[in-house]
Amino acid sequence: MRLAGQPDGNGAMFWSSFRAGVRQAAGLPSLVLMASLIGVGGLTRDIGYPIWAGVLSTLLLWAGPAQVLLFGSLAAGASLPAIAIAVSLSSIRFFPMVVSILPLLRGPGVGTGRLLFGAHFVAVTAWTEGRRLLPGLPVEQRYPFFIGFSIMVMAAATFATGAGYYLIAALPAAFAAALLFTTPMFFTLSLVAGSRTLADWAALGLGFALAPLATALVGQDFDLLVVGLVGGTLAYGIHRMRGGR
Amino acid sequence: MAAELEQAIGGLWPYLVVIVIGFLPTEVWRVAGVLAGRNLDENSQVMVWVRMVATALVAGVVAKLLMSPSGALAVVPLWGRLGALAAGVAVYFVARRSVLAGLFVGEMVLIGAGLWGSQL
Repeated sequence: MRLAGQPDGNGAMFWSSFRAGVRQAAGLPSLVLMASLIGVGGLTRDIGYPIWAGVLSTLLLWAGPAQVLLFGSLAAGASLPAIAIAVSLSSIRFFPMVVSILPLLRGPGVGTGRLLFGAHFVAVTAWTEGRRLLPGLPVEQRYPFFIGFSIMVMAAATFATGAGYYLIAALPAAFAAALLFTTPMFFTLSLVAGSRTLADWAALGLGFALAPLATALVGQDFDLLVVGLVGGTLAYGIHRMRGGR
Repeated sequence: MAAELEQAIGGLWPYLVVIVIGFLPTEVWRVAGVLAGRNLDENSQVMVWVRMVATALVAGVVAKLLMSPSGALAVVPLWGRLGALAAGVAVYFVARRSVLAGLFVGEMVLIGAGLWGSQL
């Protein structure tokens, strides 16, 4: 895909905005994503998959929770169709996220092909940072800035995935455990950070509390589906009861 | 059937799993988001429900990873895993909602519990 498909003057503008995005991503956003994906590399090794399967999962899925679901469920021995459904359920959130960031990415020369390319990078970090930073930029700089930002954080996270794969075997037991612990710790903190209403907290708490119960009741294959649908729907009920619209 | 296919394609199996079981079920929602475009309100009731289901699902994954861990994480006793998680969340709030501070302290507690637990 050609990124700089504009005439020369616009091409220079494209790359300067792209570089501004890279610079914006190079600090904390990249560190946070490295911390969240390093454990996925460890998980990949844990289930006996090759390093490039873990690296590929970061490049293609670009969804920490879905990657953890995928490798974690494989480790637990769940059936493949059940894993695919759970992964897909966990990724439905990308639908509203893409819908809501689309108006910020549209601009001169940004057609459906480029929007699809840009949408691939939509995940928690790029979405929150994009919604925070893009409105302050001129319309024609937004798309290249977003792509630069996204490619930078993805490169850092991909490197961390590969590093985690090797680190887990090289580290003493307690530190290897810490590497695998990065993922649940990071996702818990992300959920806590994103919880604003009582219903958000209920979804978080119910998901956590129902998991052991669901495993005991329906087994390893479909327990996460039950947790997501039952816990999420109960939390939605709380949202409605409190007059949420 | 999956086992037979795994036999047949050997070393390529993990990549096929990543693409078919991981990539496609995820990417379909991003593509749908672009195609549905602006006709959807992210604050609609359906979207709120979707967000709740996704949150519960991710929380469920975290619980499973901690309660029945595989491999290296299993060397840390259950109290150490849950204690480290609680410590990380507590520090997150104390440190004025800093994800990195929470992550760091949670890791430290877990390593401590792992070292202590392995000496018993």
